[in-house]
Amino acid sequence: MEGIPLACYLGVSGGLFLLGLFGVLTRRNPLLLLLAVELMLNSANVALVGFSRYWNVVDGQVFALVVMVVAAAEVVIGLGLVVAVFRQRLALDVDALSSLKG
Amino acid sequence: MSDVALSGAYLGWFVLALPLLGAIVLALIPGEPSRALTRVIGVGSVAAAFVLVVSLFAQQLSNDAERRAGTSTLWTWVDLGSLQVDLKILVDPLSVLMMLVITGVGSLIILYSTEYMSHDRDYRRFFVEMDFFIFAMLVLVLAANFLFLIVGWALVGLASYLLIGYYHDRPSAVAAAKKAFVINVLGDIGLVLAAFLLVRQLGTLDFAEVFAKAPQGLGDGTFIAEMVALLLFVGAAAKSAQIPLHTWLPDAMEGPTPVSALIHAATMVTAGVYLIVRCNVLYELAPHMSDAVAVVGAVTLFVAATIATVQDDIKRVLAWSTVSQIGYMVMAAGLGLYSSGMFHFLTHAFFKAALFLAAGIVIHALHDEQSLDRMGGLKNHLKVAYFATAAGCLAIAGIPPFSGFFSKDEILAGAIEAGTLGKVLAGVGLVGAGLTAFYMFRLLFRAFHGPEPDGGYHETPHASGSAMAAPVVILAALATVGGFIQIPFVSHNLRDWLEPAITADPGIEAGHGQETLIIVLSLAVAAIGIAAAWWLFGSGPERRLARAQKLPRLRAFLLDQWRFDEVYEAAVVQPGRDLGDAGVRAGERGVGQGPVIAAEAVTGAGARILSRVENGLVRTYAMAVIAGAAIVGAILILAR
Repeated sequence: MEGIPLACYLGVSGGLFLLGLFGVLTRRNPLLLLLAVELMLNSANVALVGFSRYWNVVDGQVFALVVMVVAAAEVVIGLGLVVAVFRQRLALDVDALSSLKG
Repeated sequence: MSDVALSGAYLGWFVLALPLLGAIVLALIPGEPSRALTRVIGVGSVAAAFVLVVSLFAQQLSNDAERRAGTSTLWTWVDLGSLQVDLKILVDPLSVLMMLVITGVGSLIILYSTEYMSHDRDYRRFFVEMDFFIFAMLVLVLAANFLFLIVGWALVGLASYLLIGYYHDRPSAVAAAKKAFVINVLGDIGLVLAAFLLVRQLGTLDFAEVFAKAPQGLGDGTFIAEMVALLLFVGAAAKSAQIPLHTWLPDAMEGPTPVSALIHAATMVTAGVYLIVRCNVLYELAPHMSDAVAVVGAVTLFVAATIATVQDDIKRVLAWSTVSQIGYMVMAAGLGLYSSGMFHFLTHAFFKAALFLAAGIVIHALHDEQSLDRMGGLKNHLKVAYFATAAGCLAIAGIPPFSGFFSKDEILAGAIEAGTLGKVLAGVGLVGAGLTAFYMFRLLFRAFHGPEPDGGYHETPHASGSAMAAPVVILAALATVGGFIQIPFVSHNLRDWLEPAITADPGIEAGHGQETLIIVLSLAVAAIGIAAAWWLFGSGPERRLARAQKLPRLRAFLLDQWRFDEVYEAAVVQPGRDLGDAGVRAGERGVGQGPVIAAEAVTGAGARILSRVENGLVRTYAMAVIAGAAIVGAILILAR
C-alpha cells in the first residue's frame, strides 16, 4: 500500500466525527447544525474510503457515494427548513423552534 | 311409598304449573293488559289449580289409607354419585291438606284482591306476585325431598319480600320487607345446615328414605338427631315467626291486606308447622328438641297474646294474634300432637283469613285508616265485615260451635296427656286462650261497637262490592263450621286422614275426663276474656282510657312489644353497623383502597420520572444516543 496507512484515515475520520458531534451537541443555529451533521457524515465517508483502500475492494467507495447522495438530500431538506423559518422571521434557534413538541 | 300407590300423583305437577303459568303469562303480556283480563288470569290460574287439588283429594278419599300417598318424578335433578336428588313431588294427605288451603283460601283471597286493589296503579304486578307466591308455596308443600323443599322455602321468602314491599315508595314497607327477608334467610341457613347433616349422616335427602333410615342413621335421642331437629326448627321458627325470630311478622303488615291474609296468616307462616309435622319422624328421635319446640311455641303464644292486647293498629292486633295462634300449632307439634297442630292450622286459615279480609273491608271503607282509635260503631255501616269479624272472633276465642273451639281444645286436651311439661304448657295455653278472647273482642268492640270516633267519619263508610264480600262470607262460614270435621268424643276424621303422613304420631288420646275438664276451663277463660273486653271496651273510650293510665309502664312495655326490636337493635343491628362503620374508617382506606392507591402512586411517580426524559430537546436525545453508543462500544472493546 503506497503511502498513507489505515490508522491515518481512521484518525482523521474519528477527529472529524468528534468535531461534528461537538457541533451537533453545542450549536443551536440550524445552519451550523447542518454543517456539523455534514462533518459527521463525511467522517464516515473518510473511514469507508480508507477501509476500501485497505481491503482493495470498491464497495466502500460505492457506499461513500451513496452517503454523499443522502447527505445532499438531507442538506436540501434542512436548508429548505431554514429558509422557511427565515421567511417567517423567527429566531434561528432550534431550542426555540419547539412548538411541535408533544 | 311406591310410585304406583296414588295414580294421580302426577297431577301435582299441573297444580304447580298453573299458578306459575298464570304469573308468567300475566307478567309477559305486552302493554297494560285490561283489568278484566288480569283478573281472569290472576284468579283463574289459582282456581284451576284448586279444582285439580280437589280432584286429587277425591281420588285419595276413594282409595284406602295405604294408597293415599304417591310420588311423581320428572327427572334426576342432582346426581353426585353418592347423592342423588330427583325433581320429585310427594302427594300425600298432608300435602293435599296444605294444597287445599293454599289454593282454596288463596283463590278466595285473590278474588277479594280484585276489588281491594282496584285503586292501585300497579294492578298487574300485584296479581303476578300473588300467583308467584301460590306457586312457591305449592313447591314447598309438594317437594318430596329436602333440596326441593328448600327451593320452595326460599321462593316463598322471595314472594313474601316482594309483597311486603309492594308499596315500594313507602320507606317503612321497604324496611319491613328487608327485615322479613333477613330473618327468613336466617331460617334458610338452619334448613340448609340440617340438609347438610342429613346428607352426611344418611346420604340422602328424599323424605321417604330419610325417614326410613333416620332411626338407624341418626339414632334415638343422640346429639346428631337433636342437632338436625334444632336446625330444622331454626328454619321453622323464622318462617313461622316464633320467638326469638318473630319480629318480622308484625312489620310485615306493611303489605296490602290480602297479602297479610294469605301469606302472613293463612299459608306461608304455617310452613314452619308443616315442616315440623312433615319431619315428625325426626322430631320423635329428638325428645329434648321436641320439648324445646313445645316450650318455644308456648312462650310465643303467651308473649304475642299479651302484646296483642294493647295494639291500636287493627292489622297489628291480627298479626300478633297470628303469631300467638301459630304458637299453639308449634306447641302441639312439639308435644307430638301433629294432627292436632294441622287441625288448628286448618281452622286458623279459615278464621284468620276471614278476620283479615273483614279488616280489609274496614280499612278500604275508611280510606286506609287502620287505627282502632279512628273506628267505632262500624256495625251499622259494614254489616258483612261485622258478622265476619264476629264469627272469626268467636272461632279464635274457642266458643262452640265455632271451629277454633274444636282445634284449640284438642291441642290443650292432648297437651294435658303429654306428661308434666304438657300440663304446664296446657296451663300457658289456657291463659293464652283467655288473652285471645280478650284482645279479639277488644278489636270487635272498639271497631264495630261503641260510639263513632270524635267528629264522626269524614264520609260515610261505604260497603264493599260483591267481589270482596263473597270471599269474606265463605271464609266466615268455613270458620263457623270448619271444626266439625273433628269433634271430641265423636270423630277424628282428620287424624285418620293424615295417618299415612304422620307415622310417628304417638297417638295421644285425651281421656273423657281431661277432655271435659279442658272444655269447661277453656270456656270459662274465654268467657272471662270476653266479659273483661266488654267491660272495658263495650261502651265509649272513657273507661279504657282511665284504666290505661293506671298501668303506664306495663302498657308501654307491651306497646313496645316486649322490646324485642330494641334488644336486637342494641345487640345485633347496632354492633353490626358499628363494625361496618369501623371497617369503612379503618379498613377501607388501608385494605380496600390501599392496593389501588399504591398502584396509582407507583405509576404516577414512574410517569413523572420518565416524562422528564421526554423533554423535547433533540440534543438531549442525541446525547442519550451517543452515550448509549459509547457505553456499548466500551463494553465491546473491554469485553474482548
